[in-house]
Amino acid sequence: MKRTGPVLLGFLVGMLMLIQYFTPNRWIEARYNNVLDWKQVVFGVTLILGVLSLLLHHGRLIRRRASGWGYSWVTVAGLSVMIVAGVLRGKEHGPYPWMFEYVQSPMQATLFALLAFYVASASYRAFRARSLPAGLLLIAGVIVMLGRVPLGEMIGFHAGERFYSLATLSDWVLAVPNLAAKRGIMIGVGLGMTATAIKIILGIERTYLGKGA
Amino acid sequence: MAPTGSAWHEGLSRVDRRVLFLAVAAAVALPLLFPLNLPIRISQEARAFHREMEGVAPGRVILLSFDYEPDTMAELDPMSLAVLRHAFGRGVRVVAMTTYAGGVGIAERILAQAAAEAGKSYGTDYAFLGYNPDYSATMLRIGESLRGAYPTDNYGRPTDELPLLQGVDRYAEIPLVVTISASALSEYWVIWAGGKYHARIIAGNTAIQAVLIYPFLQTGQLAGMLGGLKGAAEYERLVGRDGAGVRGMDAQSLAHFLIVLFILLGNLGYLLQRRVRARETRV
Repeated sequence: MKRTGPVLLGFLVGMLMLIQYFTPNRWIEARYNNVLDWKQVVFGVTLILGVLSLLLHHGRLIRRRASGWGYSWVTVAGLSVMIVAGVLRGKEHGPYPWMFEYVQSPMQATLFALLAFYVASASYRAFRARSLPAGLLLIAGVIVMLGRVPLGEMIGFHAGERFYSLATLSDWVLAVPNLAAKRGIMIGVGLGMTATAIKIILGIERTYLGKGA
Repeated sequence: MAPTGSAWHEGLSRVDRRVLFLAVAAAVALPLLFPLNLPIRISQEARAFHREMEGVAPGRVILLSFDYEPDTMAELDPMSLAVLRHAFGRGVRVVAMTTYAGGVGIAERILAQAAAEAGKSYGTDYAFLGYNPDYSATMLRIGESLRGAYPTDNYGRPTDELPLLQGVDRYAEIPLVVTISASALSEYWVIWAGGKYHARIIAGNTAIQAVLIYPFLQTGQLAGMLGGLKGAAEYERLVGRDGAGVRGMDAQSLAHFLIVLFILLGNLGYLLQRRVRARETRV
């Protein structure tokens, strides 16, 4: 029963979600909405579990005085201050929106902005035409990088009425080879997902139940 | 063999990273201080995005989803603001939401700014539903009932009582869904809102993400797209009101050119070194 119960439940819910796609039946539609509502509740609970897990993990690091435990204090303090501020004064007024606007937002944006420097440094050091595929990737990358900015769009030549710029070439790279590769990957992923879903519904794939299932 | 020559070759691919960082900082900062006003070409995708927005009749309600957090706001805030300015300027009403917890503060700030500029009222001209956990369930649930997915708005007011949502409860009653996204959320909107409920969708994406959603654009599953800060700049030009997107174009142009220049220098150094080594082995 320990195995059969979850597999049976998976089969029933999986079949319900499959069938609802093809029928306008009111009862099935209502059950489908129940599942969607429950899914959001479960997701919300996982957020709480995530916060608890984070607190427990950093609490352990602080107790053991593990390497970098000072940063764990910062994490716990940041999390606690935001929660307390939100609970006491609400999320529209007081310190919560202030900290979001003037602490969290600038910090996140700054970290992301640093990528410009690291991308420049990393691509300079690692982006080498060591082989034919690497060379092709390099050429495509350069075309797209230059073709997607105004300065690159000005580089090109006139052929009759038309102006063929790096942007034209960049559009072609994105709309033909890039699109073909992405579509191939998507079809592969789609087929894989369908096969896995069928295996789960039929109880063939049970790894989601944990060890020994 | 030739120490001076080797040092010269090696120097090309061993530029100190501090020099590189300084060059990038200058390439980004200088054009912001002294604009070059480079011309901006409008792409087909941006034209399609603009056309879709123009196609919404005044008075109708569109759904705008802020699918990003503060890390990408420099790239995506200009798009969100331009969409709202365009919509409010044409009398189109907006119901907004976010699929990220960190998107709430961003959405509130931009909605407040655009509404204040256009003199729009909360509840009648626009509303903010807030964040719902689990984007897939939220997107699917809106197909059945928007009020079911969001019984209250972000401020706890029942959505049933919002004048904006009278007669608007599912995708079938929303002429356009706009997602401004930093991740694969545009793709999920296409799959769940577009595939199952036939919602008409346009997307604004970070430049990295834009590359990945071209297949949906080609098939028409996405009716229009803005890619990165360049997309925001194009749209601002189409709307006729320059903003942070247009302002950032000169800086982005120079930064891209600088990075490409360094990549080419590095490769030149690498190829020359390889030639020297090949010659040494032959000798």
